[in-house]
Amino acid sequence: MGYVNRRNRTIAGVFLLPTVAVLFLTTIYPMLYALYLSFRNYDLAKPFIPRIFVGFANFQEVLTSGPFMHSMLITFKLMAVTLTFQFVIGVGLALLVTQRLPGMAAIRTLLLIPMMISPVIVGLVWLFIYFPELGYLNYFISLIGINPVPWITSTQWALTAIAIADIWQWTPFVMMGTAAALQSLSPEPYEAALIDGNSRIDVFLYVTLPQLKPVLISLLFLRAIDAFKIYDIIFVLTKGGPGDATETIALYIYRQSFTFWRMGVGAAASFVSLIIISVLITLFFKSMQKSAVAR
Amino acid sequence: MNKISTRQATLVYIVTGIILIIFMIPIYLILASSLKPSADMFSPSADGLFTPTLQHYVDLFTLRPFHWNIINSLVVTLGSTLFSVTVRSLGAFALSRIRHPRINDAAFWILSMRMFPPIAVVVPYYIIFKSVGLLDTPLALIIVYSTANIPLTVWLMKGFFDEVPEALEEAAQVDGYGIVEIFYRITLPLAAPGLAVCAVFCFIFSWNEFLFALMLTGSSAQTATVAVMSFWSSDAVQWGRIMAGSFIILIPGVIFVLTCQKWLVKGLTLGSVK
Repeated sequence: MGYVNRRNRTIAGVFLLPTVAVLFLTTIYPMLYALYLSFRNYDLAKPFIPRIFVGFANFQEVLTSGPFMHSMLITFKLMAVTLTFQFVIGVGLALLVTQRLPGMAAIRTLLLIPMMISPVIVGLVWLFIYFPELGYLNYFISLIGINPVPWITSTQWALTAIAIADIWQWTPFVMMGTAAALQSLSPEPYEAALIDGNSRIDVFLYVTLPQLKPVLISLLFLRAIDAFKIYDIIFVLTKGGPGDATETIALYIYRQSFTFWRMGVGAAASFVSLIIISVLITLFFKSMQKSAVAR
Repeated sequence: MNKISTRQATLVYIVTGIILIIFMIPIYLILASSLKPSADMFSPSADGLFTPTLQHYVDLFTLRPFHWNIINSLVVTLGSTLFSVTVRSLGAFALSRIRHPRINDAAFWILSMRMFPPIAVVVPYYIIFKSVGLLDTPLALIIVYSTANIPLTVWLMKGFFDEVPEALEEAAQVDGYGIVEIFYRITLPLAAPGLAVCAVFCFIFSWNEFLFALMLTGSSAQTATVAVMSFWSSDAVQWGRIMAGSFIILIPGVIFVLTCQKWLVKGLTLGSVK
């Protein structure tokens, strides 16, 4: 028991109260409002039409019609591709930049810049790189004899183009977390393992990787949650198009609410995605608690 | 870590160098394109040869009211940062000092708020702000960003408060200080660096934010990120202007990386990496 006795604990509760109150007013209340909307037929373009109670019709539409399921598929596809590349490149890069060589600290710092850039700016600069006919990427691949690729204007390539931009921005995040973890590991097991004549790959797989596991799980969940929310880059590059080729869940909600003005359907879709993200959060906490116990 | 030979070191440098160059190309393009004459915009062969011009930056502030967008961004960013850090440091202190079996659940609950997709609450925010007449005002964004910042700030501050030795607070209590006095006379000054770091995080988040700014502002409270995006959609695409605006927007983030790198790890991974 610390010095905080029963009386002081009550006062400490008062310290906590402003946070909880603000969270309630600005997070819980809008969420309850969204829940209310999801059961109504609300057209924002025609605000004078009464908001009729429609039961589960909005949820039914979201869950049974094709577009939402399609957007879910796109979201998870994008998540799988970007996370795979971010972790493979990020962990590899972390192993390189934690070598004790002059200049590595500076390189590490420079590599962090992409993730501090506003996602809109990331979207815009990649739009510039992918730009149809004139873009830099097509110019460079033409130098090595590859035909120009319609990066953002074809259904075949648009998702890849978005994935590349996202991988560019967030690989540094994985590198940063992994590098920090690598530097906190004690060197003895490596020396012992190397003296025993194991190859570097074996040492990485059987000595380093198991020690990195809790950190990698944390990073993976943080990235997965962000990947689920991905919006800005897609909004700039393709607005969910061409057609619905890059329409993720966030873009689906956006289109329903602000293109078709069907707020009820948008709110229902929001709730379905909240439930999905809650499952992710629960998994995250379970793994956090597990690794906390292990520590 | 283990020692490596000169040959291996060379290999490490070559591989890291190539990756570094690839990662820096987009950043180079932002800067270079913001200084290129419009005629050279899409001619990679002109790179290194073009005559730099500040015309696009001049255009930003003369043909477009970009200074107002920056002022809007600053008002929103500073307002939400101040609000976040003040309220949140109280909450974090409580989470750090209360001894109760369920206090970690409360901390986790606050953390979980970070994970809700912003698009899910943008519709309610839009309707609520519309009904109370706050749409297209900086205040609306200050409210939204402060909420968005809560989990990050509380979690980060809790870590800093945890590091302040409780023995100091106990000594102060023996001297007859109440808990409120202890908080602002002893704990808060000792955790001041942490407070600064939190402030910078809130600053970068609000400065970079786009979705809420796009949805909740019109012409009068438009922030810099939304304005830059509007250069793309309005009339002819002005790449020079887009890139000049982008470069101005990315400056705070770059300064942050160069100055407080070690705090980045702690903040962005929410302390999951020690």
